[in-house]
Amino acid sequence: MFEVLLGGLILGGMYGLIALGLNLQYGVSRILNLAYGEFLIGGAFIAFFAVMSRWQLNPLLSLFASVPIAFVLNWLIYRLLMVPLVRRAPDQDALDADVVLATFGLFFVLQGLALVNWSGDLRGYSFLAEGRNVFGAVVALNRLLAFLGACVLALALFLILRHTRVGAALRAITIDPVAAELMGVDVRKFSAIAFAAGGALAATAGMLVSTFNSFSATSGGDYTLKALIVVIMAGVGRVTGTLAAGLLLGVVEQMGGYLLDPGLTLAINFGLFTLILLLRPTGLFTRA
Amino acid sequence: MDRRTFVKGTAAAVGASTLPAGRAFAQAAAPDKIRFGYAITQSGPLGPGADSTTISQYKLWQKRVNDGGGIMLKKFNKKVPVDFVSYDDQGKPDELLKLTERLIQQDKVDMMLAPYATHMNLAAAPIVTKHEYPVIMTTATTAKTYELGPKWPYAFWNISQPNESAHPLSHALGQLKKDGKVNGRVAVVHVALEFGVEMHAAFVEQAKKDGLEVVLSKSYPLGAADLQPLIREAMAAKPDALVCMSYPPDTFMLTEQCQIVGFNPKLMYVAIGGVFPGMKDKFGAKVNGILVYGGVDPNAPGMAEYNKAHQAMFNRPSEAGAINVYGALQVTQQAIEKVGEIDRKKIRDVIAADTFPTLWGDLKYVSQRNASPWCVGQWQNGEIVGVYPADKSGAKPLLFPKPAWS
Repeated sequence: MFEVLLGGLILGGMYGLIALGLNLQYGVSRILNLAYGEFLIGGAFIAFFAVMSRWQLNPLLSLFASVPIAFVLNWLIYRLLMVPLVRRAPDQDALDADVVLATFGLFFVLQGLALVNWSGDLRGYSFLAEGRNVFGAVVALNRLLAFLGACVLALALFLILRHTRVGAALRAITIDPVAAELMGVDVRKFSAIAFAAGGALAATAGMLVSTFNSFSATSGGDYTLKALIVVIMAGVGRVTGTLAAGLLLGVVEQMGGYLLDPGLTLAINFGLFTLILLLRPTGLFTRA
Repeated sequence: MDRRTFVKGTAAAVGASTLPAGRAFAQAAAPDKIRFGYAITQSGPLGPGADSTTISQYKLWQKRVNDGGGIMLKKFNKKVPVDFVSYDDQGKPDELLKLTERLIQQDKVDMMLAPYATHMNLAAAPIVTKHEYPVIMTTATTAKTYELGPKWPYAFWNISQPNESAHPLSHALGQLKKDGKVNGRVAVVHVALEFGVEMHAAFVEQAKKDGLEVVLSKSYPLGAADLQPLIREAMAAKPDALVCMSYPPDTFMLTEQCQIVGFNPKLMYVAIGGVFPGMKDKFGAKVNGILVYGGVDPNAPGMAEYNKAHQAMFNRPSEAGAINVYGALQVTQQAIEKVGEIDRKKIRDVIAADTFPTLWGDLKYVSQRNASPWCVGQWQNGEIVGVYPADKSGAKPLLFPKPAWS
């Protein structure tokens, strides 16, 4: 029982982890990026190739490559692809429609490139694939690492948003981009930074998840979908809320699977999601 | 007798008696190529699997046949190269049906090749039967073939179906129990898809007949995020064997999580994905002893040349699951050569009656089903070998018990 609970928390940490970057992109930059999962898978592939390379690198080292690459690419995507859409959109609804179409197209392009370059084979490697005893429960070290990664990243993000000038600007944009602009915040610049940082978080999450999940060039879409569920549950723009929503989802899924039937985990997931949408349509952690 | 009949008759007589003249005659009448049509999934989630298991084999076979001059058509005494006409069915059965009709009626291909994945093969079977095009289905495993197979005389089923795949596992455990090596306790888990459900049912039913005790029997959804609780439950039931009727992502996850919780059953089976090269990439020597769906004889005649050609063409090794596809192509080629012309009815009858030596062993079809496909394989010394049927040529003895993980 305790092991199931702990497993649920750790799984939930992973859910929070994969959703952090998306929430930053959607919350601050107001871009619902359907190609998000492709950057996550990109991070996973870079880690995979680092491990499988001649030097058999530690997958953590791959972050030195994948994080800057993802940051720059996402910055470029925002500046070149998204800014024209943001400019011409009369309101957020129109922007959402354009962005969904544009990023959906981007998703196909990136996935196609990934398929051509890396084929569709299922990949995976072993890293910290051992159990550790935590108060009588066995926990996989690689999953624990992803959980800790989620906590550290969420905390860091929280502190940056709370206590730095950049953070204050980002929060201002989240609340009201027009007012922020009037107060002298360079909305385009900070939105681009937030979008790029979201991509970098995706690559980091991809690396951490790849230590225990196998993946292929086509897995990106699944991660986007899961991240989206968590973001909507948490409320757009809520960083710590994202982690909390992820944890809730993980625990409910594991406990439900354990108490009822493992075959029901997906049904439980979506049941919880529907319930939250019905009761709190703006998300669990948004202020009214 | 008019002049044309006279010329024909003379040419035939001369052709029969002397080779050079015969060749001259044949050149006038033989087709310049044999056109094979196929509609297969090239885009969408199943595209990559179709490529590595099936399309790659079609291309490799075409290249190797044409490098040798083509398929020998006795009637014309001439080797004729293989040509392909292909379309992307996008993984949609209705698209596949349209494209198959198009290939047959509009493109007028000489022969058809199989699509990819069980439901697509099932969709194609009635339509190729309607048009009387013999096709060997290479990627379909479903209990439906037992009932529907005989209704589609032009469709042949190459790989191991649920009963044949699951029963040998049960028999093996039953025998081990008789020999006093295990207590006969088995935990069975399956992915909640048609494949998993059918395999599960086939195994559990047979397990009772073989005197085994099914101590856990549960399903999980495709794409499950964490299977550790399920493995824990299985572990707590203290089974001798863990049988997982699994799909690729969960095959990997189950294998890793068994290691993490230190669950080392004496016998462990995973189904689809177990033969993937990625298993060895990820787990290294720990794959040894794991039983898998399907199998292959790595030392079969022609295998070394095949592997070399595959590596040269695609710059990667072949996956064990693709060998049956190549075998089916060899059967098709041999049947055409035996008939000596493109007479699809005769070709169908030859496939139905004869035995064909291939990379995937000697293939013979009974009621259009492969009489003895590789059913269960095992990782031994870092490669996939065939274990069951045990009497099949090239079968290796079962490695028992499975070596410990570490």
